[in-house]
Amino acid sequence: MTDARKTATVRVTHRYDASPERVFDAWLDPAVAGRFLFATPTGQMIRAETDPRVGGRFTFTERRPDMGDVEHTGSYLQIDRPRRLVFDFAVPAYERTLTKITVDFAPDGSGCRLTLTHEGVFEDYVKQTEHGWGMILDGLERALD
Amino acid sequence: MLDHTLTALADPTRRAILARLAAGEARVTEVAQPFAISLNSVSKHIRMLERARLVTRRIEGRDHVLSFNPAPLDEAQAWIDGQRALWAHRLALLDDILKETP
Repeated sequence: MTDARKTATVRVTHRYDASPERVFDAWLDPAVAGRFLFATPTGQMIRAETDPRVGGRFTFTERRPDMGDVEHTGSYLQIDRPRRLVFDFAVPAYERTLTKITVDFAPDGSGCRLTLTHEGVFEDYVKQTEHGWGMILDGLERALD
Repeated sequence: MLDHTLTALADPTRRAILARLAAGEARVTEVAQPFAISLNSVSKHIRMLERARLVTRRIEGRDHVLSFNPAPLDEAQAWIDGQRALWAHRLALLDDILKETP
């Protein structure tokens, strides 16, 4: 059983018309990463700093109209250019618990397919499988029909 | 509240209790019957489900009747859906950035 099966996991994929190297580098360059990585639709990034080496830390602070300045901070766990980037992060103002992000970059024709997995979302207080979630939510849908 | 919901869902016995109650309300003794654990242990699981508002209890004479309340699950699912939408938004932003400078 992998770690991902033990925790609630959010997974999102996206295809880019750019090489895996270019897409990979965008995550570590603060000038680029600051424009998307912890962005929300209404926020404005006011600080973006990275120290792109294993164990190095990053900080992204976004000014949000409803919540003020929201700092995301974490560190790099794995940097395997251009295949995989793993980091953890927390939003200390709201939640001390670190959650883990794994970004996989796979060549796809002339471009790249990116898969982001946000896991351990509830790691500290729940050991829950996606299967369990699916099961309980399927059951709920049936119950509500 | 989300913490309570997720903690309540983290245990297979509690999920089985919920699955039973999703099929229809039941007395505490009926809920406990299929499990090879003591009524006391089942009661502890039920209390955790009540704390998470996933189960409500109604007292009818000597019977305690339990029913399933799905509202907190909607809240948990909404949170997960929100996270997914946020990451999809960010990945789309990166797409726009990469297209600016080929």
